[in-house]
Amino acid sequence: MLIPHSLYQPGETLVHRLHPLTKLVYSLAAAAIIFGGPGMWLSAILPGLLAILLLWRAGLTGRAVIMVLRLLAPLTLVLFLVHGLFNPQNQTILIQLGPFFVGQEGLAFAALIVVRLIAVLVSSLSFVMTTHPAHLVQALEEAGLPRRLAYLLGSPLLIMPQLAGRVQAIQAAQQARGLETQGNLLMRIRALFPLVAPFIFSALVDVEERSLALEVRGFSASTPKTSLFELPDTPAQHTARWVMFLLAAFLLAAGFWWRANGGH
Amino acid sequence: MSLKEQLKKDFSTITLTLMAVAIVLNIVLGQVVSLLKLPIFLDSIGTVLVALLAGPWAAALTGLLTNLIWGLISDPVAAAFAPVALIIGLAAGLCAKYGLFKKWWQAIISGVIITLALSIIAIPIRVYMFGGVTGSGADFITAYLLATGRDLFSAVIVTVIGDNLIDKVVTALLAWGIVKGLPKRFTARFPRASAVTE
Repeated sequence: MLIPHSLYQPGETLVHRLHPLTKLVYSLAAAAIIFGGPGMWLSAILPGLLAILLLWRAGLTGRAVIMVLRLLAPLTLVLFLVHGLFNPQNQTILIQLGPFFVGQEGLAFAALIVVRLIAVLVSSLSFVMTTHPAHLVQALEEAGLPRRLAYLLGSPLLIMPQLAGRVQAIQAAQQARGLETQGNLLMRIRALFPLVAPFIFSALVDVEERSLALEVRGFSASTPKTSLFELPDTPAQHTARWVMFLLAAFLLAAGFWWRANGGH
Repeated sequence: MSLKEQLKKDFSTITLTLMAVAIVLNIVLGQVVSLLKLPIFLDSIGTVLVALLAGPWAAALTGLLTNLIWGLISDPVAAAFAPVALIIGLAAGLCAKYGLFKKWWQAIISGVIITLALSIIAIPIRVYMFGGVTGSGADFITAYLLATGRDLFSAVIVTVIGDNLIDKVVTALLAWGIVKGLPKRFTARFPRASAVTE
């Protein structure tokens, strides 16, 4: 059983060294344009191609392709099957298969959805694979995110390995005591509470200790805090973030206008 | 009580640490239940626990952040469903606030309400972003309904509700049972817990 702790791939390339906010704004702007921009294909393909370029510069193309396949392959297969065979808008018959037929409209619809999903996935991968989660949290805090919210984003990443280890211990302990995890439906339902409850109770017991530890270390103090790492930022990146934001806003507005005037 | 005071009370340090642990529970617990091969995933049990102990706002934020963090560490597609997780927290919190989590049968009703609430958000996301399919076994039902002449939207309504109903009812029941089983000295630290325990 593997619980992944991060998609981050360490590296020293130009893309890795970009400020986290720059990459965050890129992936958000790309998602907005892919799903909300005018025109169907172009708005999806251009941000996706740019993200592939970024991943290539970061030396992560191979890993990204594996991720995309792993996350989207089953979905793609089902999309083409369901919409090719059963999309209610199917008019043009491509292949006849007994009582069913494969329709062109459904296939085109499925292809558009797949292209959009691939584009949005590579855009977010170009961000998450090259950015250490801790650096993202720090960047957001420096940009004015309340410290309590920053804690909520960062702390689960640190708690996760610890609790994931406990999952296995509790599973093993309950099975050693004779808990039936196989068998008929009723037996499996009865095993649910003994598996889940001890884990949740023990996690909740930690909550009090954690909050005391935080308070003792001045978590609620309002004085400014010093960070060990410094995130390099450049004026050019600052401008780039604004340009990307404005471009996305403009294309979203254009997309609304385009849809209101008969675009799909 | 002014909004600022209410927010301060709702987001005390102990509530924040509870939310952080709940986010991890949401992500990790699915692995435990997959062992039992039941049609449930329990990926919102932490959110519902926060809803019962700390109210709708803290729970909504827990759900939202769960999916954003999930997107960050393992599956960017999960981030697309962050608004759904937010609604789950909000709905569960409101159910608890209005006394729908006092008895076990009320928890079942709350589970149904949560399912209906999340469907309002989940259905447009599934239809518009994912073409109505998810790559899971539920797609057979979508395909069947499409083949019998339904449109995509109503086919997805059926699969989303069918997919979530059992899971959310079990989640609500488990969360209710766990909050009932927590020691008083623990629940007393959360201002909202009395809506469930008393």
